[in-house]
Amino acid sequence: MDFAPVELTPEQQAFQREVRAFLDEIVTEEVHEHERRTGDGFDERVHLALGSRGWLFPTWPVEHGGAGLDDVCARILALELARRRVPYVTSGTTGGVWPAVERYGAPDLVAELRPQVATGRVRFCLGYSDPESGSDIAASHTRAVRDGDEWVINGSKMWTTGAHNCQYTFLITRTDPEAPKHKGLTMILVPLDSPGVEIQAIHTYGGERTNAVYYSDVHVADRYRLGEVNGGWAVLRGPLDEEHGDGRGNGLDDLSIGVGYTREFQRAIDAAARWAKRTSRPDGTLVADDPVFLDRLGRLVVETEAADATPGPMGRNKASLSFIAGIAELVDLVGPEALIAHGGEGAVDGGAIDYAHRFAQGTATYGGTTDVFKNIIAQHVLGLPRLRLPGDKQLVR
Amino acid sequence: MERFELRLQDFSLDDDQQAVREGFGDFFTKEVPSSRVRDAEPLGFDADLWQRLVAMGATSMALPEAAGGDDATLVDLVLVAEELGKVVAPVPLVSHVVASRLLARAGGAAELLTAAAGGERIVTLALQPVVGSNRQLVPDAAVSRDVLAWSADGLALHTLAEPAAHVPNQGSTPLAWFDPAAGERTVLASGPEAEALFRAAVAEWKLLTAAALVGLADSALNLGVEFAKSRRTLGVSIGSLQGVAFPLADVVTEIAGARNLTYKAAWYASHEPGARPDLPLAAFVQAAHAATESAWVSAHTQGGLGFTVEADISLFFLRAKGWSVLGGDPGADRRQVAAALLASV
Repeated sequence: MDFAPVELTPEQQAFQREVRAFLDEIVTEEVHEHERRTGDGFDERVHLALGSRGWLFPTWPVEHGGAGLDDVCARILALELARRRVPYVTSGTTGGVWPAVERYGAPDLVAELRPQVATGRVRFCLGYSDPESGSDIAASHTRAVRDGDEWVINGSKMWTTGAHNCQYTFLITRTDPEAPKHKGLTMILVPLDSPGVEIQAIHTYGGERTNAVYYSDVHVADRYRLGEVNGGWAVLRGPLDEEHGDGRGNGLDDLSIGVGYTREFQRAIDAAARWAKRTSRPDGTLVADDPVFLDRLGRLVVETEAADATPGPMGRNKASLSFIAGIAELVDLVGPEALIAHGGEGAVDGGAIDYAHRFAQGTATYGGTTDVFKNIIAQHVLGLPRLRLPGDKQLVR
Repeated sequence: MERFELRLQDFSLDDDQQAVREGFGDFFTKEVPSSRVRDAEPLGFDADLWQRLVAMGATSMALPEAAGGDDATLVDLVLVAEELGKVVAPVPLVSHVVASRLLARAGGAAELLTAAAGGERIVTLALQPVVGSNRQLVPDAAVSRDVLAWSADGLALHTLAEPAAHVPNQGSTPLAWFDPAAGERTVLASGPEAEALFRAAVAEWKLLTAAALVGLADSALNLGVEFAKSRRTLGVSIGSLQGVAFPLADVVTEIAGARNLTYKAAWYASHEPGARPDLPLAAFVQAAHAATESAWVSAHTQGGLGFTVEADISLFFLRAKGWSVLGGDPGADRRQVAAALLASV
């Protein structure tokens, strides 16, 4: 157990200064304005700038396009990126998919893509959820049929966030409809510029843009297949397990996999705290002196402390569910000002609470719903038996 | 508050800490079957168990060497308290070690300190400031004739001829009314220093009680989970039903956060005292909540059986609130946590 400040070597201190100066330069107000406008979770200029330093895959060796950073420097970089709220969705999906490409892709494909993902010119998004099956990814019906050296793909995927800024989608396809549900799937890295791919925007009230992607007779060379034919589930589990995390950490990283959600909640809480210190009630008393306000705000602070201390799949659920319940309470505490958007007259801290209230709602769905995670917690943390359902092993419409 | 400070985030236990946890875990599991908890009711004190716990070094380990201790840290004490809570052991360890440590810091008489380290004299702490002649309920005062209390005059040791009369209570704890006029009063410290000592001790009490509540919550949950695995309905075990499983999953989530928060708070209190005075209070709020939730959800999982006095979950349900409420309304702690945030933004 140790929560001590990390003592930096002179080299690490210099690196920290370098990161701060570089990010101050490239993460401009324009970047945030672009993100508010598009909800892309991605800024190409920033992404390529990070890639030029090897900071998209910072711990990779320099010869692979990384920066060869030690764990401490990687943590320095991660904290500074988080502090500046650098758009992370597409860099996150790219980083999440890469281990599967490296492990399951053909050597020439890996050799071709590695330098390109490192520079940032190639990005990956997730083609997981069929429109009718949501978090039940293994129920995919999107069909891939072998045709000589190619696959012909027909179907559609929801929630392919970043597709319009990516070069490939990590697509789970049905290659054997007769096989048991998990044994008829094949993973294909589909070039998004292929004829027959159509990307349609979906906007959320969280301010994000995601996509529905339609595949109509899309021909993809077999060299883009990852892993065995009908072995796609194993390929998918890699990144998914990474997304769900094991919660152990290396002593430097945040314990909770939901830390990104909690940070947005804390940002809103801090905004409310500053608001309370400068705002008076109609009777002239300062909000910050109101014990009822403090009691209710204190409860939310405790929730964030607990969320940050919650490991494994539980951490994700705590971060998301405490955020959703707590941000609604925070809006009540601040009143209508809380819901004035960025740029509006009287917006609290640039609309931080307004944004958080909208953003929070999606966090219970990203990466599998909180209900899926409750199943995981029930079975793997508590050891409760799994309920047998008709669609467990078979593809059921 | 600096939200992006570069600090280690290591919640793991090292070998020594693991040994403390396992040693006391084995001790409590072996010594305290639920029958022993029942036998100690309604007072909630088992003198023989107390002696055995003293022999384990629990009362002396976290005292300074000069006072006959081993300089163990609050992290070690948190681990002991969690194991104690797992079996809801009927011993006044939390109050006693907190009051003993306070006594050592405030320059209490060596004779008393030695007797406290050896567990022969049980000491406790009035958790609310003394105002005028107002009496207050003090944890474990029914088994202690040495009560530390703070008022505007300073921090004082009140030594009574014998412990005050037990007030039977829902949690079967050795609760008693403390009358500030009773007994012999010795002022140990005064001024801001006395108040700081007192506040720190109350925070320690809340932290260790939080740890005990984490242990309590954990055992309460296990009773519900085991029931849910074995009880069947409609041809399946009820634990496979999401309506049963999900509340249990929510509870284990709350407990996991509470446990790690007590660790983190204990680490800060040991290594950077004063840096995060809000953390013990936050841990107490979270642990009290987790224990309340766990006890009720577990009891409910067991249906009508969980509502009977024969079911062991009753021991945990009654103490979840019976222990946490001794620290007063968590609302006061929440206000302090919020005030700390306001001071930092």
